[in-house]
Formats: sequence, structure tokens, C-alpha cells
Amino acid sequence: MINGTVFFAFVVGALSGLVAAGAVIWAKDLRLKMTWWKWLPALLWYLLLNFSVLLAFTMIGEGETGAGLKMLVFFGVILVILGAGLVRLLLAGRAADKGLPVETG
Amino acid sequence: MTDEIKKKEGGVSRRDFLKIGGAAAAGLQIGAVAGAGLAAGKDPAANTGWQHLGDNTQFVDRKPLQLKGQPYEKVGPVLRPEEVESAFGRRRLMMKSMKQGSRGSQKPAAEAAEKKTAPPKDGPPEAVGDIPPESRPGAKPSGSGKRKPGPPRMKMPPPDSFVEPLAGFYKTHPDIYELDKVRLESIMPKRREDEAKYGDFYTLINAWQASWMAGQPIEDPPEISDFQMASPMGRGRKIRPSIPFKSPQLAAKLVKKVAHHFGATMVGVTKLKPEWCYNHSLRGSEDRGSYEVPKHWKYVIAFGVPHQWEQVQANPNCGTSFDAYSRATIAARRLETFIKSLGYPARRHSPMDGYDLIAVPILVDAGLGQQGRHGIVITPETGSNFRAAFVTTNLPMEIDKPIDFGVNEFCKDCHICAEICPSASISYEETNEKITTRGYRHWEINQTSCYNFWMQSMGGLGCRLCLIACPYSRKNNWAHALARTVDTNDPTGLVNDGLTWMQKTFFKTPEAAEYLPPPDGRFATFREPPDWLSVKEYLDIKTLDPTKGE
Ligand code: SF4
Ligand code: SF4
Repeated sequence: MINGTVFFAFVVGALSGLVAAGAVIWAKDLRLKMTWWKWLPALLWYLLLNFSVLLAFTMIGEGETGAGLKMLVFFGVILVILGAGLVRLLLAGRAADKGLPVETG
Repeated sequence: MTDEIKKKEGGVSRRDFLKIGGAAAAGLQIGAVAGAGLAAGKDPAANTGWQHLGDNTQFVDRKPLQLKGQPYEKVGPVLRPEEVESAFGRRRLMMKSMKQGSRGSQKPAAEAAEKKTAPPKDGPPEAVGDIPPESRPGAKPSGSGKRKPGPPRMKMPPPDSFVEPLAGFYKTHPDIYELDKVRLESIMPKRREDEAKYGDFYTLINAWQASWMAGQPIEDPPEISDFQMASPMGRGRKIRPSIPFKSPQLAAKLVKKVAHHFGATMVGVTKLKPEWCYNHSLRGSEDRGSYEVPKHWKYVIAFGVPHQWEQVQANPNCGTSFDAYSRATIAARRLETFIKSLGYPARRHSPMDGYDLIAVPILVDAGLGQQGRHGIVITPETGSNFRAAFVTTNLPMEIDKPIDFGVNEFCKDCHICAEICPSASISYEETNEKITTRGYRHWEINQTSCYNFWMQSMGGLGCRLCLIACPYSRKNNWAHALARTVDTNDPTGLVNDGLTWMQKTFFKTPEAAEYLPPPDGRFATFREPPDWLSVKEYLDIKTLDPTKGE
């Protein structure tokens, strides 16, 4: 028998690596001038997204479907509001660089 | 080849791969997290406090393994098994032969064997299970030459001296006669010698075994019954002299360990305060009046066993107390026998055998939990979803201390149990400061109105709604475990407020009146009953469904 927890940690770990590598390239292509104080809220937002989904689906799994869906809506609204703020933060300083050549490689 | 060239040639660059792959991985990760959440929520292993007994313990799908043909090859006339074919069955027939012999039967050989060997008072050496009397609980201490030598060696009577069908069987199966003879004449005497020599080395496994056979009713007062073995094998025998433990710490450690194996989810030890004992109806005594608390009730081991998860959610009209009652009782019987087997007087107090003491303050003293607004104890592990049992004894043990994990603070603002109680039996006071009974301040419900609702409810007798509606009675998955841990360690009370708000906002349950009988209510249940309690699912009978207003 495959140990479900170990296998899950392996898959999610691999996916996380890919997400991180992809995020770096997305940031470059979108000409986002990333600094640690931009990466940190972005990471926290992503963690909150994961946490919300995990929590809501745990409740649904428990049979508390109503509570799970309400949590999805509740955290969804919070994520949208925070996401809007995050986008503004990430885009700050980008306009000035418009027209710079896209870094490749 | 560079990424640029690859791109021009129509290939996927490393950059694009990482961009697309990263985005896809983010989506997959969210999906995996949702799946993990579903699994964590469903997981019956997280049903608070009880090892799961669901059908997922049988995890291999047998469908693809199903045989095409028959598993057995029929090669002759089919016969049902006879008693004489089994070793245990023959043993019973041997005993019968010997008894008949002693009553003057026509079987001289059996009579001769009987005279020679004089079986002990409670039957011949092989009479119970496969355990000779020496190793039975209640027997005298063994080993180191302390044990008395066993009865004289037995001689196997000739085959025809036994009762039928044993005599006939031995004639047609001389090989089995020889094996039985070897056991009676050589193996059993040697076993008795080994018992006398090494018996002490096996004290704990013998006590452990005896515990699993416990279950005799309490029929005598503590001065008698607590000092007698109660297992079927040693019933009525005086307990052996006490075997000393290396330390009270180790005694408590061992008792807790075995109590868990006997079925207790949470175990604690405390000294018994006499005021926690009832002032009437001591079990086993004729007198229903006041009694003096027995001197040997120095310590009390308290433990809790939770209800089956799905049915406790279906209270008050489709649940029962008796699943946890039964498990708690059986655990208490086992633990009582274990302690007696080590030579200490013990008495169980349990739902099915009765209590001589009050549960709540002892559970609190033993550090299992705190009393909640609903009057019962809340533990950090199972909330209030558990039933308690106790064993009183004089075995010296290290005692536990009461705990505080914030229940008093939580109850101040929560009131969920008071709001949901169909009989309005639970106080809305902010604290229990004004509630005193028999000299102590503590939460107390209106027992009479509560009991009146029990009599109105359907399904298993009783209610238990406050027990399961309490936010502490949640599953033991990551979400609730996190909430419990953070709340317990938050000195500001903010987490407490947040959790109470979440409970009331996100988790909707029927209103108090809906649990009442029609026409005032609809016999509602806290959550839907499991399919295996649904008559409509399994039984071919027509019924009205009051929950649907029928
Ligand atoms: S058992 Fe039911 S009726 Fe009794 S106090 Fe609890 S909720 Fe109320
Ligand atoms: S439901 Fe709330 S108020 Fe009632 S015992 Fe549980 S925590 Fe306390």
C-alpha cells in the first residue's frame, strides 16, 4: 500500500517547485520588479488560497457541506480583496520600465 | 540549441515550459489541496477519540479477486462436524466420563483414573480453556518454589472406559487417543512444573488474559466483592497477595497503558474524595441507605470512551448512549480484573454495572477535562463526546492533576448548548458563580426538565444534543486540531471569539424546537443519521417520516 500522506507530500512538493519556478519567469515576462517585500505577500496570498480551499473541502468532507461552501465564499471575498491589493503592489514600478526589452534565457 | 532557436522552430522553450507548467502546477496543487481537504474531512480515523471501526478497515477490493469456480473440491459424502472430532469437545467428554466414574458408573478405568488424580475443586486440570488452575487469576503466587505442587499425575484410562461417543472414537482413532494420552500424562504435569517454576515471569500476561474474560455481576459489598476475582475462571476466589510495583509512577503508567488497550480513550488517576461517593445504594449491599466509604477506595482510575461518530451526530432522535456505555463498561470490567489479578482490591463503576460515585468531579480531578455549561465534562481530545467509567482501588499510583484549557472562558460567550437544548435545561448565566450544589460551585442543568425531554424523544432513549453540539466535540482532523491548539494557547481570547463566531455563522443546525415531537417539532436530528440507521434504506416496511412532516 502506498502511504497516502507521504505520496501527497511528494506530489505537492514537486508541484510547489514547479509553481515557484514558473512564478519567477512570469514575474520577469510581466516586467514585475520583484523584491522580497513583494514576494512575501504574494506567497502569503497563495498560502491563504491553499488554506481556504483545504479548510472548505475538509468541512465538505466532514459532511458540513453548507459550512464548507459558506467558507469558500467568505474566504473567496477576502482573497479577491487581498488579491486586488497584491496586484497593485506587484505592478508598482512596472509602468516606468515599459518598453524595456524582455529578458530571455 | 537555445530557447530562441527552439521557439523559432516551433518547439517549446524552457521558459515557456516553466511558465505554462508553473501555472498548471498551481491549478493542480489547488486541486490536490481540495482533494486532501475532502479526504481529511471524511477520514473516519479522525472521528474524535475512537479508533475507526468503519468498513474502510477492509481496504482490499475483493471484486477483482473473486473466484470463478468453487473454493472447495467435493470428494465424498458431506458430514457436519461432531463434538468428538475436536480436542476441546473430547476434553468435555473426558470430564463427563470422569464425573460418571466418580458417581459409580460402569466405567472402571475412568473411575480408577478419577481416584488416582482427584481433580481440583473447580474441575479437572484441563477444565477451563487451556489454562491449568495454577495459572488462573486468583491462584496463589507462583515461582520461586512458592507455589504448591499440582495434583498427582493422571493416568489415561483405556479407550473403552470412556463414555460414548468418545470410547468409539478412540477405538477408530488410536493415534488421537495417543496424543490425548501424551497431553494428559506428560504435557500437563510438565506444564504444572513449569508454572511453579516460572509462573511469576508471566504474571502480567496472565493478568492481561484474565482481564479479557471479565464480566461477572457485582453481588456483594466492597469488603467482599472487591477482594474476589470476578472473571469466569476465578470467580469467587480471593485475590492473590498484592504484588509490589517498583514505584507508584510505574503503577500508574502500566494501568494507563492497559486501560487504553482495554478500550479507554482517555485515562487519568486521582485520589478519591469521600464526598464524590453517593450517600446511598452501595452496590452489593442490602441496605439502600447511607454507608461509610470503604477504606480501600483510596485511588480512582477514571477513563472515557467516545460514542460511535455517525450515530452521535444523529442525536437526539436517532442516537443512543449505549454504544459508549457498553464499551466503557467492558473496559472497566477488564481493568478491574487486571488490577485484582495483581492482588489489589478493585471495583468498577460503569454505566452498565452502576456507579457508587459521581462522575464529573472525578473526571476533573483526574485531569481528563473541565466541566462545561452543559454540566458534563469536556476533554481536549473528544470534547464532551464520551462516557465515563471508573475503577476504585488501593493500588498506590502517581496521581494526575486537574487541567485548564480555557473551557470556562469559552463557555462564557458560547451558549450553543443552551440555545439548542430542546427543554431549556441549560443556564444562560455568564458564569457558574451563582450555581452551587452540595457545597461546591459548578455548572448544573435542570435534570428534571432534561429527563422529561428524554421521554419525549424517539430513537435511542435520551437526548445527548448538548454533548454533540458543543464545539469542542469535533473531529480530530487538522482543522479542528489547529483550532483547539490555537484557542488553548491564546491568552487574548480573540481566537475564542473568532471560533464562536465561525461556529454560529457557518454551521447551521435545526432550532431547539425542531427536536421536539410533532406538532411542536419534527423529531429533528442534529445531523442526518447514517445510512445504516435508515429504515428506508434497508427494510421493506412502510413508515411515516416525522422529520419530513409526515
Ligand atoms: S441532554 Fe438534551 S435536554 Fe438534556 S440538557 Fe442536554 S440538550 Fe438539554
Ligand atoms: S456548547 Fe459552548 S457553552 Fe456549552 S459547554 Fe460547550 S463550549 Fe460551553
